[in-house]
Amino acid sequence: MTYPRAHAAGRRTGTTSSRHGGRSAADVRPLVPPRRGPGGRRLLAVLLVGGLLASVLPWWLDTPAGSLRSTAATVTAAGRITGLIAGYLLLVQVLMMSRLRVLEHWVGGERIARWHRDVGATLLVAVLAHVSLILVGYADLEDNSVLTEAGVLLRDHEDMVSAFAAAGILVLVGLTSVRAIRTALPYELWHALHLSSYAVLLLGFGHQFSNGAQLFRPGPVRTGWIAMYALVLAALLWGRVVAPLTFNLRHRLRVADVVAESPDTISIYLTGDRLERLELLGGQFFRWRFLTRGCWWQSHPFSVSAATNGRWLRLTVKVVGAHTAGLRDLEAGTRVWAEGPSGTFTAAHRTRERALLIAGGSGITPIRAMLEELPPGAALIYRARTPADVLLQRELDWLAEARDTAIWYVVGSRDDPGPRQVMSPDGLRRLVPDVAKRDVYLCGPPGLVEQSVRVLRRAGVPRRQIHLATFEL
Amino acid sequence: MRRALFAITGLAASTTVMVVLKGSPGTTAQVAQDLPTGRPPVVPASAGPAPADADRSVAPSRAGGTATPRPSRTATRAPASRPSASSRAPSAPRTTTKPPPAPTTRTVTGPVVENEYGNVQVQITLRGTRIVDVVALELPEETAQSDQRSEQVDGRYSGSSGLVVQRQSAAVDTVSGATATSTSYKRSLQAAIDRAN
Repeated sequence: MTYPRAHAAGRRTGTTSSRHGGRSAADVRPLVPPRRGPGGRRLLAVLLVGGLLASVLPWWLDTPAGSLRSTAATVTAAGRITGLIAGYLLLVQVLMMSRLRVLEHWVGGERIARWHRDVGATLLVAVLAHVSLILVGYADLEDNSVLTEAGVLLRDHEDMVSAFAAAGILVLVGLTSVRAIRTALPYELWHALHLSSYAVLLLGFGHQFSNGAQLFRPGPVRTGWIAMYALVLAALLWGRVVAPLTFNLRHRLRVADVVAESPDTISIYLTGDRLERLELLGGQFFRWRFLTRGCWWQSHPFSVSAATNGRWLRLTVKVVGAHTAGLRDLEAGTRVWAEGPSGTFTAAHRTRERALLIAGGSGITPIRAMLEELPPGAALIYRARTPADVLLQRELDWLAEARDTAIWYVVGSRDDPGPRQVMSPDGLRRLVPDVAKRDVYLCGPPGLVEQSVRVLRRAGVPRRQIHLATFEL
Repeated sequence: MRRALFAITGLAASTTVMVVLKGSPGTTAQVAQDLPTGRPPVVPASAGPAPADADRSVAPSRAGGTATPRPSRTATRAPASRPSASSRAPSAPRTTTKPPPAPTTRTVTGPVVENEYGNVQVQITLRGTRIVDVVALELPEETAQSDQRSEQVDGRYSGSSGLVVQRQSAAVDTVSGATATSTSYKRSLQAAIDRAN
């Protein structure tokens, strides 16, 4: 079924808090945030690639041309190059996860997550290549079998036990991040495993300096390499400890109310101190840690589902796992530890004047917040499997009126004729004739997002105009 | 994911390209000229696996033998105690700063002896027929391990008060755990002595 700006509210089960739901719409800020260009992101990309080249440069300068005459020397050299690259990429990985405000501003959490995934895959390959090439190279040089050589390395070389442990953990972390394996694991287990990658940083540190051909001699290279470690560690400390600490001490967020939006969705309202000074854009997310007995040790990313208004924050959460189920029972006054705000899924990151928003199910939450900050003339397509899955509809309809936004509720399974018709290049163009000239913001289940990107590309929307909200990390 | 594949391919390709560029034999001749004293012929190590095996077999004794008079492993990190990495620098001035008492002082350079860990080249200083100083112009120092072994060998043999000057010959004990480097050292040294006489 397709309802152009229709009122399907009567079909919806669950309750809306008129107290809060009505109010949020009344606080619409006419402000459209200023645009943020890609300059910072490009600068960072250039810096990171420059660093990569600089990390291999010592090998290049140390190795006289024509010196790699035997197979062993060649294989060992390749092992050294991949080792230097792996060492550098590991630092990049940790830096990207340091949650430095600058990085979030320049690149954005979603894109960082994508970079992190791509660099992670490369790092995994680089480490495996480093280990195997060095093993084969050394074994060839000393006329040992590879296994004997592994034993020799472990026994006779300094720091190699911890280095092997680091490689093992890294491979484990890398493999559990392969999408197929990861979806089969509980988030908590995956997260715990991923946290152990800090151990990789620690365990892998020693062998680079005691055995690394380019690093064991004191000199500028060694100093520079240690400086890189110090820099990343400082970034980590700042982004993960100091900045969140100041944020939470300043705002002291606590739960004000928990409201059911639908049978399986809840909204959590938060209050705090000095919220008028909160720099939050609609569509951004925080990592939330609810300080109750069962929940304090996990942090989960949820979008804020209303633009900042200086008085309260709201997040709307679909109950899917053990953790989110526990959120139903939050009591008013519970302290909340928040890290953020993060994300470039905001009106500030648009490239065009108008926008098309496509939401699926609970993916409406960041889009609902963003609607308040987009210039008038936006369009929203809201996909939901059943009418009961349509969330926050009263607010959306209100916003549609207040901000001159066209909203289509497209309800039904993916194979129903209505949704199929809308989610085609022609269907999109019929609803939004100028779709190719708009920024498109997508948030929803992966299936919907992938399908939409395909359709949008065929409808002629350039890739840089397509914005995705992903909470992979 | 496409980008990750791209990055991995780039990693493999650039590693290969770098190794190939550095390994290209066309530039070998130029390197030989870069060596400090490029004239002596390169003597390849005759026994390939034998020294390596010897090195390995005595490895435990080296690990346990703290009695060997050489900088300890941890000292490898301290900037001050690194005589070998710059083995040419600290010992070379000794030959020049020493007041030249007689015009018969001369230096003779041995050939570059190659083994699987790198090259060894020794230079001796003679006053008359007496060896007064030995300097290793080149020692394998590419890896931390071979650098350490070279340091052992250099510390034991080289210098105006080293084993070679004491014995006045190349017949010195092999440094345990560094057989290949010791052997190459002695070979270059012997050639230098032969050339001097």
